[in-house]
Amino acid sequence: MEKIILIKYGELSTKKANINFFLKTLKDNVERSLKTEDVTVNYDKGRMFVSLNKDNFDLVVEKLKKVFGIHEIVIGYKIEDTDLNAIKSHLLTLAQEKEFKTFKVETKRSDKTYHLNSMEISRTLGAHLLKNIEGLKVDVHNPELNINVELRKNACIIYFERYEGIGGYPVGTLGKGLLMLSGGIDSPVAGYLAIKRGVKLEGIYFESPPHTSVAAKNKVMDLASKLAVYNNDFKLHVINFTEIQEAIFKNIPHEYLITIMRRMMYRISAIIAKNNRGHILVNGESIGQVASQTLTSMEVINSVVNIPVIRPVACFDKTEIIKLAKEIDTYETSILPFEDCCTIFVPEHPVINPEKIKCEEYEKLIPWEELIYKAIKNHEVIKVSDKKEQYNELL
Amino acid sequence: MIYLDYSATTPVSFEVLDSYNRTTKEFIGNANSIHGLGVKSKDLLNSATKQIADLFSVMESEITYTSGATESNNLALIGVALAYHKVGKHIIVSKLEHPSVYKICDYLASIGFEISYVNNDSEGLIDFDDLKKLVREDTILVSICAVNSETGVRQPLKMIRQIIKKENNNTILHSDITQAIGKISINFHDVDLASMSAHKIYGPKGIGLLYKNERVRLEPLLYGSGKSNDLHPGTPALPLIVSFAKAIRIALNDLDKREHFIERLNEKICKELEYYPVIKINKTKYSIPHILNISLMNIRPETFIHAMEEQDVYLSTNTACASGDISTSVMAIYNDKVRASSTIRISLSYLTTTDEINKFLNYFKMVYEKLNILVNK
Repeated sequence: MEKIILIKYGELSTKKANINFFLKTLKDNVERSLKTEDVTVNYDKGRMFVSLNKDNFDLVVEKLKKVFGIHEIVIGYKIEDTDLNAIKSHLLTLAQEKEFKTFKVETKRSDKTYHLNSMEISRTLGAHLLKNIEGLKVDVHNPELNINVELRKNACIIYFERYEGIGGYPVGTLGKGLLMLSGGIDSPVAGYLAIKRGVKLEGIYFESPPHTSVAAKNKVMDLASKLAVYNNDFKLHVINFTEIQEAIFKNIPHEYLITIMRRMMYRISAIIAKNNRGHILVNGESIGQVASQTLTSMEVINSVVNIPVIRPVACFDKTEIIKLAKEIDTYETSILPFEDCCTIFVPEHPVINPEKIKCEEYEKLIPWEELIYKAIKNHEVIKVSDKKEQYNELL
Repeated sequence: MIYLDYSATTPVSFEVLDSYNRTTKEFIGNANSIHGLGVKSKDLLNSATKQIADLFSVMESEITYTSGATESNNLALIGVALAYHKVGKHIIVSKLEHPSVYKICDYLASIGFEISYVNNDSEGLIDFDDLKKLVREDTILVSICAVNSETGVRQPLKMIRQIIKKENNNTILHSDITQAIGKISINFHDVDLASMSAHKIYGPKGIGLLYKNERVRLEPLLYGSGKSNDLHPGTPALPLIVSFAKAIRIALNDLDKREHFIERLNEKICKELEYYPVIKINKTKYSIPHILNISLMNIRPETFIHAMEEQDVYLSTNTACASGDISTSVMAIYNDKVRASSTIRISLSYLTTTDEINKFLNYFKMVYEKLNILVNK
């Protein structure tokens, strides 16, 4: 009898034609998340099995809870023999180690050729426990111990403990996107939600030294490394935005500062996304939250790009976003007080309903195409998983 | 030289010293400065703290750096006492603590706290019934060390925690884990506060830490500026912290394998000591093999230590921190004054070799016979 971990797929099981691609990706992602844990991963169309070489089940379960595409994680005992007597004796051994008064046996039989059906197996096993352990009772509604038995072609799996998986699709199965990561509370949450739907993300961050600090950039890298847990790794494109931002500040009416700045960021992001085979932009805009996120602002800003812009938290309240940020452990980092591109050069009265035609007029006042070209050409790419390794020798 | 006093302190490992040197040279910025050099230092500081937190399975914010275990013990005991004195003024400690804990208790008693000393059985294990009886509604803190520094007796922290929390869920459990870390595995979730220092695990002297569960409040003992941590203000000692983080990482490697090896050395010594009819071995079934305490009975331990020193062999009397007095721990376990006042401690490391132990046993025999004749005259 081997103690193993069993992974159940959720929504995945509805994918018919490309299920193999989904499962292969999930297996790769599971292996990557467990690469330090000495495990072997196998799968078939119904389940994924993780065999552990060390007794580190808790740690492995914790890590699996962060892998998208997993519906449920189960710690089970695999019996290679499907003979009913063998199952009976193994189940008894397992049950004797547990403390419970009431129980229920639930059987799933994927091997339909087995000589007993699910109900009959449950009944036989239940009776065996009642006969051999004193003081037990069956309770089908509210048992202290749920005994699950899965009868497969060549093996039987018994399990008691089950943990909810995180759901979603395996990362990468839906292609690539570019997340506009600012350092605030919303964008990491937006990124998390996109990753959840199987989008593999890269990030883009705009810095304006000396107006913004190295600490602000480190903060964004920390956020990226938190997303990397879900995204497998995380590539961050850092754009030096100083020249563009100063040109806007010097030449454009201040009420339009933010609008024009956002239009420039969108233009740069769309090009970076395209150059890196990204199909969408993802950002943390939430309807009405600030002047640049009114519907008219969104319309005027969005109009400079053709790529789809996904705003996962567009319809979330701030409190809902904060709740999620705390769950994914980005909140504490997000609230560190460093200036970012969007908080410097803030006009006193930004325009709430900007006009597209005015934007186009104002933009003629600066050589933006040239500046954008330069910013993209000189941009820095950081793989955030590298950050830890940077200090490997010292630590 | 044969060094068998690893429980007093350990030599700094080369890799750890290298980290110290490189951090000193390459990270000159104050981690509290906002410029690039400061940010770079801060980033390294955060990485070091994260590494420690991950190794201990705790949160980064639950770690406070101190100058060593003595300061950690002070911060834990006095910090709790001052923060919770309105809830209660009763504190329980074991009879097997490090001397620094008793000094702190004396101070706390002098400002109005009541200290109870929980009994232990003849194996050195905390008397659970006595502990149960002692925990009251106004008991704010229990402090029990994970491994006793003199005899190596190890306490079951998880069980101790369960007993305490059952009697009073608000009572805080502190453990001095200085002698345990790097020797046996410790689950930080068994305690609310834990003290340790770097120099017992081949790290530099002058740095330690206090683990504090996020739910526990502490009144700081030090006040000053600095954004890093309210409990230990001032400029973070980056080279010490970085080398500490490295020492912890190395110390937690291969615990079982090392323990197994040391166990064999320990058994070898014990077997040889059986030929000395007068000598008593202060070892119970809960003693970890790294610390071997014996009572010479009729020879003054100080004389013996110095005579061994002449052969370039280094041992200690009870502990470096309590030399001269009788061993409180041996007294607490065996209740025998002669036994408790003639102890020497042999402490072993994974660096100790079988050859060293053979030589040590030869010197031991020589010195013992020489001194024993004097005693018998």
